Amino acid sequence: MNKPLPTANPASTAEAHVRWSAEYAAQLPGEREVRNRSGIAVKPLYTPLDVDASRYDADLGFPGEPPYTRGIYATMHRGRTWTQRQLIGLGTPRDYNARLLDILDKGATAVSLIPCNSVYRGFDMDQVYPELLGTCGVVANTADHMDACLAGVDLAKTSCSLNDPLPFTLLAFMLATAKRRGVDWRLVSGTSNQSDYISHYVANHMFFRLALPGSRRVLVDHVAWCNAHAPKWNPVSVVGQHMQQAGATPAEAMAFTLSTAIQYAGDCVAAGLAPDAFLPRFTFFFDISLSFFEEVAKFRAGRRIWQRVVRERFGARDPRSWRFKFHAQTSGVDLTRQQPLNNIARVTAQAIAGIFGGLQSLHTDAYDEVLSCPTQFGARIAVATQNILREEAHLTDVIDPLGGSYYVESLTDAMEARIAEVMDEVDAQGGMFAAVQSGWVQRRIGESARAFQARVESGEQTVVGVNKYAVEEDESARPALPRPDPALMQAHRDDFARWKEQRSQADADRALSALARAAQGSGNTFGAVVDAAAAGCTHGEICATLRRELGFGQPLVVV
Amino acid sequence: MEKSSLTLLSADAVRRGDRAAIARAITALENEMPGAAALADALATEAGRAHVIGITGPPGAGKSTLIAALLAECTKRGRRIAVVAVDPSSPLSGGAVLGDRIRMSEQAAAENVFVRSLASRGHAGGLARTTRRIVDLLDAAGYDPVIVETVGAGQSEVAIAALADTCAVVCPPGLGDDVQAIKAGILEIADLLVVSKGDSALATATVRDLEGMLALRARRGGWKVPVLLTSAARGEGVAALLDAADAHAQACGRGRRLARPEPAPADERARTAALAARDAFARNCRIELVDAGAGHAEVAMTVGAEHLNFNGTCHGGALFALADTAFGLASNSHGRVAAGIEVHISYHAAAREGERLAARASEVSRTRRLATYRIEVRRGARGEGDLVASFTGTVYVTGRHHDSPDGEAPTRSSRRSP
Amino acid sequence: MDIRPKVLVTKIGLDGHDRGSRIVAAHLRDAGMEVVYTPPWQEIAAVVKLAQEEDVDVIGVSSLATDHLIVPRLMEALRAAGLSEVGVIVGGIVPDDDERALLDAGVARVFHPGTSLADIATYVRELAARSRAAKFAA
Ligand SMILES: Nc1nc2c(ncn2[C@@H]2O[C@H](COP(=O)(O)OP(=O)(O)OP(=O)(O)O)[C@@H](O)[C@H]2O)c(=O)[nH]1
Ligand SMILES: [Mg+2]
Repeated sequence: MNKPLPTANPASTAEAHVRWSAEYAAQLPGEREVRNRSGIAVKPLYTPLDVDASRYDADLGFPGEPPYTRGIYATMHRGRTWTQRQLIGLGTPRDYNARLLDILDKGATAVSLIPCNSVYRGFDMDQVYPELLGTCGVVANTADHMDACLAGVDLAKTSCSLNDPLPFTLLAFMLATAKRRGVDWRLVSGTSNQSDYISHYVANHMFFRLALPGSRRVLVDHVAWCNAHAPKWNPVSVVGQHMQQAGATPAEAMAFTLSTAIQYAGDCVAAGLAPDAFLPRFTFFFDISLSFFEEVAKFRAGRRIWQRVVRERFGARDPRSWRFKFHAQTSGVDLTRQQPLNNIARVTAQAIAGIFGGLQSLHTDAYDEVLSCPTQFGARIAVATQNILREEAHLTDVIDPLGGSYYVESLTDAMEARIAEVMDEVDAQGGMFAAVQSGWVQRRIGESARAFQARVESGEQTVVGVNKYAVEEDESARPALPRPDPALMQAHRDDFARWKEQRSQADADRALSALARAAQGSGNTFGAVVDAAAAGCTHGEICATLRRELGFGQPLVVV
Repeated sequence: MEKSSLTLLSADAVRRGDRAAIARAITALENEMPGAAALADALATEAGRAHVIGITGPPGAGKSTLIAALLAECTKRGRRIAVVAVDPSSPLSGGAVLGDRIRMSEQAAAENVFVRSLASRGHAGGLARTTRRIVDLLDAAGYDPVIVETVGAGQSEVAIAALADTCAVVCPPGLGDDVQAIKAGILEIADLLVVSKGDSALATATVRDLEGMLALRARRGGWKVPVLLTSAARGEGVAALLDAADAHAQACGRGRRLARPEPAPADERARTAALAARDAFARNCRIELVDAGAGHAEVAMTVGAEHLNFNGTCHGGALFALADTAFGLASNSHGRVAAGIEVHISYHAAAREGERLAARASEVSRTRRLATYRIEVRRGARGEGDLVASFTGTVYVTGRHHDSPDGEAPTRSSRRSP
Repeated sequence: MDIRPKVLVTKIGLDGHDRGSRIVAAHLRDAGMEVVYTPPWQEIAAVVKLAQEEDVDVIGVSSLATDHLIVPRLMEALRAAGLSEVGVIVGGIVPDDDERALLDAGVARVFHPGTSLADIATYVRELAARSRAAKFAA
């Protein structure tokens, strides 16, 4: 039996509300209107008058049931908390492997891998300045490198989250490794965490200079190939995090993410894939800012909209297609260089918002991320923060514990409306792809970024230690710099050069020609990437071939 | 090695094509620094060899992207090519983001290419005031062609026609009703009509529309204006555009600009200051000139006891006087006597005694006879605070000129008489 | 000399995050400066050519993901091109040890996250005036 939300006698509530409002206004005359980051006005108090109790079943329902406002699984964090996915990557494959085995040993349950920025940008290690190698991620350019990264990891049992941008060479290298080790591809599980080329094009420009239409093709091929050959792999992760980090408000970030997902789903359908064949493998990746309740409401509203969209627009019938599964990362933009240890408090608040928002997987930022790439010390505190929240703080005792709060329910509705508005605007631009090609989305994000900065500059938005409560700096809180050992990196480069001399050039050339032919015709480009990876082609070679065939693209910068 | 400004502003170094010397000389011309005029005169005789191609069209039409494609094409043909790209200055801050170059960043890296961005600095007409001299300099430095991108043009910004040998008007696809506007304005100046973004849906329809419009128009000097479809994104139609520009230069010649006298050296700032000094009423109201230039002016006053009304706040008439003074100076800044014919003011907030208020006027539109200005009165010495009043006004531009006693518009003899 | 500072805001290296550089560019414009802005990923040679042709007074390099490590190469290239009067500032995530190395390489100043835009604009204006004076010194 579901019990309705407690409601008082509506008439007397309304009367009391009038009384209270008068008292409030008398005590705080001329109070400034409070707005959240998405621009929604927030009242000082929410009451039964702000919610329609009769809409419980339609708007909230039960965990694991549409509209999923209260969570996508019946048992939510009671059944299984969340995947603790700390993204790591630094230095050479051997450095990475040592760190990976260490965190698996300390209780991490899944692998994650961040490649060096040179990889994002489509370069091999011999194409960039050596001082930039391995400073932000692992330098992996071949199947051998991936094999070394994942030494000692059972690929049939361990879920791997790869920060693997287009054209997904890291996955291809991993599949080559699996094949060498005799692991069936159908058992390989994990996520292509950086498959959202639109977010790269718009928000952070971490792509390998492939033009947008080419990227569109490569992603659809990737989805189709994974569907057929690696059914436990999630080929698509739509990354709202990039949009929000670039300055989109939480509502805009959610809207752009959903519109992007609609774009990708539409492209897959146009390529002949059945919605229920690929939608269950769509995942999302969000930023969690410090605007606590707004973030909770953002996630609840996002779940509601997605299940509606997939059913109404795509006719999805499998409930697994309706579930809005997401990974979330605490927002680095909110962290400060000043008094860096304060960031631990910020990350904690952000993480709780994500947990109350019903996330499936969480990365907590290290407090020292704004000083440099995180140190091992910082990463350990970030992991401990998750452990404390999960096991000490009793946050997971109750499913959707903020559900039924007059404020949170009202805010969820308001966020949903704001998100839907932005999605309508994107539709009016001709969909996400067109809106990005014209620069409309970029302009919008830029405006929001400037508006937020103006709030910080004016002091309207407090940032502790920056525009308020500044103190003399405590230098001792500054950790040492994590940088790859230059000698080891040089050895890695030497090995790479030697390896290139020794590999079968004929095999590599043949595989690259096959890749070019696939790109020119209608073959599956990702299938050809997988073959090329196995044939000893490098990341840079694969990227260069695709770029030549599918077109060169620059970021569209709008100031 | 010590480099002196003398060697940096060297005509010889410019002739040799020394990149650093050219760049520094442009800075000197742009800012009218000492030595700039002499340098310009020294190089004047060499101007007229380059083919000057003007690229104009509405904001966002794809001008810069098209120029990027032209740069690639010229590079392929082994030409040394220069681009002068003009972006609008903000009427409020005077600053600018020079964004055209963003679209050309890849092609601009080539050795045979020289790209210089200029801010319009309040100059009307889609160009910066010094654009012509800078084009002359690049011409003398041996660049050919010299391409000039205007500020995204409205209807009346036709200065490019006087500067360029070949004027290409870029029309984005799907102009729809805007076609009427374009027809009324910049279409008239086109030697080439270019439909951009040929990869998008409405492009061919736009070509047809424009061809239809041209059919109604008389030919100019025997040259038949072609309508060219291009896609910078796909690199299509770019070679044909360059060929058409070459053909136009062949047919109609180069050095068009040299046949016209250079416009009078409009020292708007000095002129406006002189006008302000003669304004007895403004002086009486204790209104001071802060800044002025072509089409804009900023004045300020501190609210004193004499400005207050019976409520003890600044009198509406005083606010009006402040705004109207900025309006008058901005509208007369170009040199021709302008008389206000209609204004409207809205008051948004009260101003109190002791507060500093600033009024900024900026030009919204200007034709030969009518010009419209928007004025904002804000708190703060430079108007950095809240909006107190907003004002729009229109002037009638007379034929009389401020600078000449007989009221005739003065012309300066050109450096090279035609 | 009455100057309107001309400033290049750019990013070199591999990273593409440009939220900060865009905000700074827009702010410098609003502070009355003429700003040339580039997309991220610029080659050092291209930045030098641009700085020379545009005759900028100040170059602002934004770096969030260790790209500042190649700024010393940029400083060297600017010197080789005779552009040592141009003031160079770096903004973004720069650890203290690296900051010292950048200052030694000739960078005028490093701005860290949390710096107010007004402070950046004030400094850029001063640096531009110094740079312009040095360039046109007789
Ligand atoms: N699809 C397509 N888009 C284009 C093409 N050329 C330009 N664009 C896009 O049109 C927009 C404006 O391009 P710009 O080259 O900056 O236009 P502009 O006329 O120079 O703009 P302003 O200087 O600001 O007036 C950008 O988003 C370009 O990517 C083209 O050939 N095809
Ligand atoms: Mg342009």
